[in-house]
Amino acid sequence: MTLGRAENTALPAEAGPRAPANVPPILEAINLRKHFPVRQRRPGAPRQVVHAVEDMSLALYPGRALALVGESGSGKTTVARLLARLYDATAGSIRFQGEPALGNGRASLLAYRRRVQLIFQDPFSSLNPVHGVRYHLSRPLRIHGHVRSKAEETEQVLALLDKVNLSPAEQFIGKYPHQLSGGQRQRVSIARALAVRPDVLLADEPVSMLDVSIRLDVLNLLLRLKDEERLAVLFITHDIASARYFAEDTLVMYAGQMVEGGSSDDVIQRPKHPYTQLLISAAPDTSRPADAPFQARGEIPSLITPPTGCRFHPRCPHAMAICRERVPRRTELGGGHWTNCFLYGDGHDASSASVATHVQ
Amino acid sequence: MNNGSREGASRPLLEIKRLSVDYHAESGTVHALSDVSVTLERGQILGLAGESGSGKSTLGYAITRLLKPPAEIVNGEALYYPRALRHTNASLDGAAPAPTEPVNILTLGQNQLRALRWKELAIVFQSAMNALNPVIDIGAQITDVLRTHQPWLNKRERRARAIELLRLVGIAPDRLHSYAHELSGGMRQRTIIAIALALGPEVIIMDEPTTALDVVVQREILMEIIALRKDLEFSVIFITHDLSLLLELADKVAIMYAGRVVELATREQLKEHPRHPYGYGMLNSFPTIYGERRRMTGIPGSPPDLRDVPPGCSFHTRCPLAFAHCRAELPLLRPATDPADSQQVACHLYDPRSAQDEPPTGQRFAACYEIAYAAGHGERSGQ
Repeated sequence: MTLGRAENTALPAEAGPRAPANVPPILEAINLRKHFPVRQRRPGAPRQVVHAVEDMSLALYPGRALALVGESGSGKTTVARLLARLYDATAGSIRFQGEPALGNGRASLLAYRRRVQLIFQDPFSSLNPVHGVRYHLSRPLRIHGHVRSKAEETEQVLALLDKVNLSPAEQFIGKYPHQLSGGQRQRVSIARALAVRPDVLLADEPVSMLDVSIRLDVLNLLLRLKDEERLAVLFITHDIASARYFAEDTLVMYAGQMVEGGSSDDVIQRPKHPYTQLLISAAPDTSRPADAPFQARGEIPSLITPPTGCRFHPRCPHAMAICRERVPRRTELGGGHWTNCFLYGDGHDASSASVATHVQ
Repeated sequence: MNNGSREGASRPLLEIKRLSVDYHAESGTVHALSDVSVTLERGQILGLAGESGSGKSTLGYAITRLLKPPAEIVNGEALYYPRALRHTNASLDGAAPAPTEPVNILTLGQNQLRALRWKELAIVFQSAMNALNPVIDIGAQITDVLRTHQPWLNKRERRARAIELLRLVGIAPDRLHSYAHELSGGMRQRTIIAIALALGPEVIIMDEPTTALDVVVQREILMEIIALRKDLEFSVIFITHDLSLLLELADKVAIMYAGRVVELATREQLKEHPRHPYGYGMLNSFPTIYGERRRMTGIPGSPPDLRDVPPGCSFHTRCPLAFAHCRAELPLLRPATDPADSQQVACHLYDPRSAQDEPPTGQRFAACYEIAYAAGHGERSGQ
């Protein structure tokens, strides 16, 4: 048993090529859309829906992390739940290892969840208070047929606890959630997700509820596991600084639309979309140059009647007539960096990318 | 800015002296706040930073006398120094023999407290949704405060003042008749700030006012607070778990751990050289947006259970620089370097009687945290 192992993992590689060209994505979302129906107050009133996610495409690669960054209401959690297949998409498809993920039967969902696991934000409500650590970790092992005997179960639960640095594992196996700190609970949640030996981890704000001083510990744990287990990780966060710390690639969402993506360094150090720039200028940061300008206007729009065209246009300091009329398509900026913004082209050619290199 | 504040020339606004608060729980008494002394100068933003259980909110509640049993203030004073000219008209008549004498908030009676609250001392809570009444429009909630505390205003004047207050915090006057659920999170928080400003208080205590908000809205509110403070000249005690916010906002920061202040410094001092190992660890727990990207270690372990605080320095179980003395004796706040240093730290490393080495440098902190991390002195070694 390895006691006292630290997370000696390296940080994600600096601005490397987008993704190894020869490695196919393990999980892909293609043009996902999710509309939630709104309950009508009056009979006969026009049907309304919340346009939570529009035209979302992303790809996750083994051993790499993609950060999905956005504010509340941006649709990032909906994306995680779509990918976990807790929700059915209104349109679009999910491909796992190149195969469409189909079938809503118990068997096909079980098979899917054996490969794709979700970690929730709140470790206080994601563990059942009446059950102990052993129960939480042995259940996925039994459901997914990884253990046959009680002895095997104990052995594997102990190994899982050790993997997430809860040691001495023999002590933690008998504990209940209320006996654990927030960080320890989140480690149990992570161990539970790992129990099925997944390929993909969908982590929905995994450290937001934790105390500041223990967030890094858990982030570093996830970084090590990503490397050791070659996990493809979707890291959902509202904190763009931790996206830079944790993930090779970053994808920014606003009001259900993707606005910018690419390597984390490109997106965060050289943001192109006006919304990404706004988000970065708003984030608290001690390394920020003093008196950095900040200018925001308006608020996140209603997603029942979202703005036409680019949903950011009512708040955008550079909005043009076309932004109201059409949804911008992807403009490649080179090196895998792209944005959906008419300032850089209408999505057909990349040559106009130099028009506005740094909008402030 | 803080230099010379001890002299009589500029009196502090609020002086908290040796404040201790206990919670009487079934399983025993919990010392939520032990022997805390901090001073708020006029026009200053004082930041209180700490993790859950550090006592930062308890301090805010104690000053405003909002603590309820099982909490009990067992010791200490909270001296409020009223502005000499302002209170000749009536409000604190019963509270103090002469208007220039400091008032101990902790011993005020209910009537005196009523006179103090909102008019002198206002509080802004984290959850604006819970702080606003859901069945009364926000205009009525603002005029309510005015009706109670400024009964000489008539209805028209109250309405005009409410509109003025909303405009002050950046809400259009046509929102006067909106209900809380019709407002966004940011607008709700602005409304709460408008109510806090209604009577022109000297001190506003803000308990995590932006924690529930998105980053963009959070920044807007912070800019608003900074601008309003310049115009209206109030002082702020800003309570948050996010030390990086305070480094942009606060004049002075008190870092709290397990119910005690462990470091007291100006924002510049903290940025330059955090002295307490915990302060250093906290400052290096935030990934940054700019600058070099490097691996960070955070602080090993987790904050202590207040029912079972380690003896001596309560941070010693997590501290990579702890030595034998730290387990034995509680360190007290003292100037970090020479006796004239305004940066104060409660750590034996800076006490010439117990420290074996020179006070640690940033490099030494970094190296020690790195070693502790590599040794796997992580969360698992805690309880």
